[in-house]
Amino acid sequence: MEEPGGGGGGGFRKELVSRLLNLHFRDQKTKVSRDALQLMVEFLRIFVVAAVRGVRQAQAEDLDIVDVEQLEKVLPQLLLDF
Amino acid sequence: MESEAEAEEQQEFSYQQRLKAAVHYTVGCLCNEVALDKEVQFSKQTIAAISEVTFRQCEHFAKDLEMFARHAKRSTISTEDVKLLARRSNSLLKYITEKNEEIAQLNQEQKAKKKKKLENETKNSIEPEDTEVMESEN
Repeated sequence: MEEPGGGGGGGFRKELVSRLLNLHFRDQKTKVSRDALQLMVEFLRIFVVAAVRGVRQAQAEDLDIVDVEQLEKVLPQLLLDF
Repeated sequence: MESEAEAEEQQEFSYQQRLKAAVHYTVGCLCNEVALDKEVQFSKQTIAAISEVTFRQCEHFAKDLEMFARHAKRSTISTEDVKLLARRSNSLLKYITEKNEEIAQLNQEQKAKKKKKLENETKNSIEPEDTEVMESEN
């Protein structure tokens, strides 16, 4: 399935996003429109990219490997932004 | 009776595990993308942690979206609901709004293509006699 833009190869598949959302709906009747689903794909993508970039930026030193410590530093702001 | 409930719980649990695994895979892919771009590596724990956070946030996203739609007396979640989800950060909202327009435009183009294709197919299937009749009327 081809997905629009995004500037890269990685991304969430629509079916995965659909299942993730449906898992938590309280009402059985709740559905997601096709456009909204595509938008959520982008939303989740940007969420992960934000987490990843934040982690990189929290790297004060010139480390080659990015570890969980950096993630702990950026998590609060990430969750506030989203 | 008890074992039935247990079995159902087990199924639910393993379904969630499969979804988590799928999220983990996608997060890993996105991490690799950034890693290649910036020449860094992400530890397995980092990828797993980001993956876990993403999975958990989905619960909040889903419930919020459902609430927004219900608030608007709808049962189908729309792009407006997703935009509302992105309200907390200006740059995020801007990004999502732009993506929404991109998607809408892409879908319109695809629709137009499909419509044209359908029109062409219908034209081709019309009998020659009909076209002659039409021409004579003109």
